[in-house]
Amino acid sequence: MILALVLLVVALCVALAGWAAWFVARDRAVVLNQLWGGAVIEVVVLVQGVVAIVQGATGAGAGDPLLFWGYFATTLVILPVAAAWAFAERTRWSSVVLLVASLTVAFLEWRMWQIWTVA
Amino acid sequence: MAQRTVGRRTGQGFGRVLVTVYGILAFAALGRSSYELVVKFTEAPVAYTLSTLAAVVYVVATFALAIGSPTWRLVAWITVGIEAVGVVTVGALSLADAQAFGESTVWSGFGQGYGYVPLVLPFVGLWWLWRTSRSTPEERTA
Repeated sequence: MILALVLLVVALCVALAGWAAWFVARDRAVVLNQLWGGAVIEVVVLVQGVVAIVQGATGAGAGDPLLFWGYFATTLVILPVAAAWAFAERTRWSSVVLLVASLTVAFLEWRMWQIWTVA
Repeated sequence: MAQRTVGRRTGQGFGRVLVTVYGILAFAALGRSSYELVVKFTEAPVAYTLSTLAAVVYVVATFALAIGSPTWRLVAWITVGIEAVGVVTVGALSLADAQAFGESTVWSGFGQGYGYVPLVLPFVGLWWLWRTSRSTPEERTA
């Protein structure tokens, strides 16, 4: 993993969470543009996956690959599922769902970095 | 007019947030227990069996709350009830004797390892089930 990418994902997640929090305060439901924001995060996470595979192939992988890839899979799945779940609700609660999901991904990113560096 | 508010679903409104948090916890518990079962089950069979049980209960509760039909509502009452009892019992036992289960579980220390979410969630879930059932008078008279 590359620290810069980890920080980028965390920053994007915090930004998306802030956007969602603003919508909660304004009593608004999730809009499509926010889902595009989530898609950008997904792309960066996928890039991290490619980087991690390359690093693993050159012998600089995670100390505990099973644990690391378990976290990776979870991180990747949460936003799409939460987005679909949130989008079906047309009230402010959908924005709360997005807020929770974004913060969770930020937390999982940090845990992934911990697992990676503990090696 | 009253009929319009009838049939309030457990997976809507605030319930949508509840199901989200349940889903995330279910994922966390499932990931944890799968890892423990594969990598180190023999180290602490009791703790890891308990983790697996907790994970299954979280997964079922998530789906039950999300679907929210009368049958699934009953399933939700049962599974969320098991969680409430489980986290309080295991939490208390783990405090009384740190080695009670050989290793820590999702419910150890009242869910301390998960920011006490496992402790708070079942009670919020029970409250929500009670609250949404109150707004469906037809179900009560049925």
